[in-house]
This record gives sequence, structure tokens and C-alpha cells, in this order.
Amino acid sequence: MLDETRIKASVTALSETDMRDGKVLTIKWKPKLYYAWDNGIAIGRYLQELKNGRIIAKKCNGCRRIMLPPRMFCELCWRPTDEWVYVQDTGTINTFVVSHVDWKASRIPPGQRYYTPAVIEIDGASKGMGILHMIDEIEPYEIKIGMKVKAVWKPPEERIGAITDIKYFKPL
Amino acid sequence: MAIAERLSRTTELGYWKGEIPVYYVYTMGRAGERFFRAIKEEGKFLGTRCNRCDKVFVPPRIYCEECMERIEDSYLEVSKRGVVHTFTVCYEDMDENRLEEPKIVAMVMLEDADGGLVHFLGEVEPQDVYIGMPVEAVLKEKELREGNILDIVYFKPMT
Repeated sequence: MLDETRIKASVTALSETDMRDGKVLTIKWKPKLYYAWDNGIAIGRYLQELKNGRIIAKKCNGCRRIMLPPRMFCELCWRPTDEWVYVQDTGTINTFVVSHVDWKASRIPPGQRYYTPAVIEIDGASKGMGILHMIDEIEPYEIKIGMKVKAVWKPPEERIGAITDIKYFKPL
Repeated sequence: MAIAERLSRTTELGYWKGEIPVYYVYTMGRAGERFFRAIKEEGKFLGTRCNRCDKVFVPPRIYCEECMERIEDSYLEVSKRGVVHTFTVCYEDMDENRLEEPKIVAMVMLEDADGGLVHFLGEVEPQDVYIGMPVEAVLKEKELREGNILDIVYFKPMT
């Protein structure tokens, strides 16, 4: 028969300091989790055009949508997409958030700007087509849905073919 | 059709590199703590015994895995000798890099116990290892021991 009281009395939870101060034996391990994600044809071209300071989309002649980010296949028409189309670097805020925490869920220190990521519908692409990017040059709580914004690019020599070649979007 | 579109400019080929930053701290648990402390401080192997099932667990458990009896009061010292239960010869490390010298990894069943340890074999050539071979543990010098499985350097053939 198990002696319940004895078990309860003998259970002690470990605290973080027990581990940190070496009161208990530990094994520390950092797995090497590297990855390389293949851009594919559509995103490859998209990133290359960002390096040139342009945003490129792709059109489907079936549903006539202009898709951004571009894709090689139309998921509605179930067919390959057609022409490459340059779109504007201006757009409209579809939705946004004012985040008081960073990506590790740590609180942003006082004095530092809150993160304000937004989905931006890009002019020239079909309604609802947009990219996720940061909004800046405006107080976080003054951002509104429907606000017109424009991309602020890095200087050409600093661009590497990444979405961060656009620094952020600012109100027009 | 556009799906057959081919890349004519190789500058458009690309991939995105990243790293997922994770790490962990493993704690040994109640029995594991006792086991590795005994190796570190006294150079001893400990097991726990279930009298009902007549079994000696090495590494020790706080519950008998057969009858669920609590056996935390039954620590006993067990032998550092055993026999090779099974083994394999490794020519590559964890990242698939070729090793200069192959490593022999074996499951060693300990004398007077119903369990054993997975560890390296040393002081023996791969072609001389056989199942049933008597071996004994070689420990690091006491001041070099850290309280983990590598406090055992390897098992070597018994002379």
C-alpha cells in the first residue's frame, strides 16, 4: 500500500535557482536547429525585386486577381498563374496591432516604441491582398484601419533581397 | 503554361537561412540525482531493489515499474562490472561527420542487477568485442567528475 502522507511530504518542487546555482545536477544542451527555406520561383523573384526597390505581384487570368505576395499557382482556379505585374509601394492598413511585448513575449522596456505590425493592402494588387509589415513615424495609438501608407526603403546599397529591404510603412 | 516557367537568371535562386534558438536544462530527478551524486562523490553505482518482484533496478527508480511499489528506501550499491549485452560500432558522430577512430557503444548489463547502462567500450578493438564479454567501468579522477554519465570514461574488458 502506498503511504500517501509520506509521498506528499517528500515532494519538493525544483526552482530555477536550484538549477542555476548547481544545487541539483543538470545537463544543459543547445540543439543546433538550423534551416534553409527554399524561396521557390515566385518568392525568389519577389525578393529580388525588393532589392531593386519594387514590389512585384502575379496575375491569374482565370479569376483576374493580382496576387501579392506572388504565387505560381492559383488556389481558386486551380491553375498556374500568368503575368508578372509591378504594383505600387503604397497601400491601406487592413488591420494592425499595438504590441507591448516582443516576439519572445517579453515586455517592451519603458521608453522603447511599441511594435506596430499591420497588414497592408498594396495599391495595384487585388482587394485583400497584402503584406505584413511594420508601421512607423506615427504614434502607435493614432494608427487607424483604412489609413493610407507608403513604404520607406533602405538605401539601395543596404538592400539584400529581403522583406526588411522595406524598413517600415509610414502614413502618407 | 506559366508553371513551366524556368529561372533564367541564377541570381533569382535563393533560400532563406535561419536558426531556431532553443536550449534545455535537464534535471536528473530524485533517483537520477542520487545515482550520479554517488558516482561523483563516492565512485559507486547505486540501484534500488523491489523485494516483492525480486529485482534490482540500475539506474535506480523510485517506483518499481512492475508492481508500482515505492522503493525509494531501498538504495544499495551494485557492482561496476557487467557483461556486454549488445553493442554497435560507430564510424560517424552525431552530425554524421566521419570519426578518426570508430567508437564502440554497448549496453552493459551489470552484475547482481536487472539493468545496465549504455556506454562506450574502451581499451579494446572493435573486432575483439563479443556479446557476453565481461567488462568493468573506468571512472574519471574524482576531481574531474561532474555528476553525469560521462564521469564514466568507458567500460573496459575485465582482466
